[in-house]
Amino acid sequence: MPAPQKPQTLQRNFGNNSAARRLCVSAVVLFTLTCALQLAAQSTGVLEVNGRIKIEGKQERLKRKRFYLFRGGLAENKSLIDRIRAAEFVSRDCFYCRMNASPEFRSWLKAEDCESPFCREITAEDAAKVPEFKAAVEKGSRQYAKKPALAREWLTTNLSPQLRDGFYLQRKKAIDGLLAGMKPLQSGMTDSVSVKAIFIDIPIKPAAGKSTETFLISNLAPFEIGTKSYVWACEVEIGAEKKAVRALPVPESGKKADKCEVFVRDILACDGQGCAVK
Amino acid sequence: MKIRSVIVITVFFAAAIAVNFLPRSAAQQRDRFSHSTTAHKKQDCASCHKIPTSNWLSARGFPDVAQFPGHVACASCHRQDFFVGNKPAFCAGCHTNAGPRSAPLFPFPVRSRSHEFATIFPHNVHQDVIARTRRGDAEVAVAHFVNASFRKLTDDPPKFNNCAICHETASSLPKFEPRMPAGQAPIAGDNFTPSAKFFKTMPSGHASCFECHYQGLEPVATNCAGCHRLTQPYFESAVVKRYSLKFDHSAVNDKGDLVHTRDCMTCHVRISGNGDLKTMKDADVPIMSCMSCHNHENDLKIELDKRAASKPFQCSYCHTAAIGALPAPPSHEK
Repeated sequence: MPAPQKPQTLQRNFGNNSAARRLCVSAVVLFTLTCALQLAAQSTGVLEVNGRIKIEGKQERLKRKRFYLFRGGLAENKSLIDRIRAAEFVSRDCFYCRMNASPEFRSWLKAEDCESPFCREITAEDAAKVPEFKAAVEKGSRQYAKKPALAREWLTTNLSPQLRDGFYLQRKKAIDGLLAGMKPLQSGMTDSVSVKAIFIDIPIKPAAGKSTETFLISNLAPFEIGTKSYVWACEVEIGAEKKAVRALPVPESGKKADKCEVFVRDILACDGQGCAVK
Repeated sequence: MKIRSVIVITVFFAAAIAVNFLPRSAAQQRDRFSHSTTAHKKQDCASCHKIPTSNWLSARGFPDVAQFPGHVACASCHRQDFFVGNKPAFCAGCHTNAGPRSAPLFPFPVRSRSHEFATIFPHNVHQDVIARTRRGDAEVAVAHFVNASFRKLTDDPPKFNNCAICHETASSLPKFEPRMPAGQAPIAGDNFTPSAKFFKTMPSGHASCFECHYQGLEPVATNCAGCHRLTQPYFESAVVKRYSLKFDHSAVNDKGDLVHTRDCMTCHVRISGNGDLKTMKDADVPIMSCMSCHNHENDLKIELDKRAASKPFQCSYCHTAAIGALPAPPSHEK
């Protein structure tokens, strides 16, 4: 009788499918478990960069300054350090000097240590005193004739590009050049009160036998303080157990800061004829 | 037989005429305009939208796109859709009453229709632009952008001015609800109601952006793609969602002094590095920011200790019952 053959075949096929299904399910479970274990193993850390520094006995507070976090220490980021060492940033003063900004415009920036006209309110008095602002308001008055108040409120929309965002863009370009395609793990800014930059959720992958991993923190673009500019590139050990705190050392003459490369340069300032050391 | 033939022929012609009045494409369906169609995606925004539109002064008070594109923008491709029946559905995309005679336009944009564009605002770039070189201790972060809404805050604490350019203390209570962690449903509980001053406003429309970006500074007003990305249609929600609904930005102590007087970025630490809020998966204020001050008895620490000792304990210092009854996340246990 050929009839029973069919159920047998079906049973055999079903049996094979079942085995395959079990194998598939096992593989999926195994994969999920592996992923879950990997996720569980990836711990995170917290870093606090202290923006209070001491220069020649005087405390300075680095407010609203951006820092970048990189995986690896000074040795692993040697090419970046080399690029920072070789980099030449144009100081704020020189930038606006080269852009032929009027002395009034530069004084307005200096009065509140602004980097750009977006820094603070441009008052009616400012708009009358600073030639660039005055020209922008006049241009705006013609353009927004139906709404004359807009000319001053939207003053920056009629400023020349170099004076408006030129300084920011040249800094950004210089930072992109320094990074040369590298992607910082994170970036963060110091606040203006506690003067700390906090980095959270830093993925930590400690080497075998270690509980921390080495990272590099740098401001890349120099901070201008007094007559000098400063760039820090400092190592920091970050672990999952407790918050890492990194201070920014200012090297005393002839001494090297511990686990830090600090590049201190004289700021070139505009003296009416051109740019020279202050 | 003859009568039957007449009826059939009449019905046939009537149907043939009626078919002309039925929508044949999405273009002929009311409210169905989509920026996402293949043909529309090929167009440059400026090929339809004029910036500014002629009605900007009355509609907005500043140069803006305040009106639908004119007939010419549609007619080059949709000419036949203008002439379908007496009341072409196509016209109802912009006009309140479709028909051959000029009818009023809907206010632009139509708020009740789904949005098709997401707005990208990089907080990190803006934080850099408003940063100053000043290091002195005497000042606090003073105002920055030239802003139509700028007010010199002589009585208010000035430390929030940086962010306050766009985010001011709310004057009316917004709609609010607890922000639930993924996969969690809110648990009914207390009837805590925050007041308006708990919240900060958020800019809407072009007013804040155009003050600096109208022209010159990229992305300029004509560069729509500089800020907007085409997305799946969605309805914008006016509901503010918070994990910690009990946090009061304007809280005062017994003496009436403001408590939360630090820089916004002291707590909103994830913001300064963020290029697009939609990519931020977690709260922009991590609990460690709160713990730097609220780590005493009767506040977070005691609640977390109680929570660890007894699971039914409900956290209420920061959270309403909707969140406070959920298991404490790992971030709270560090």
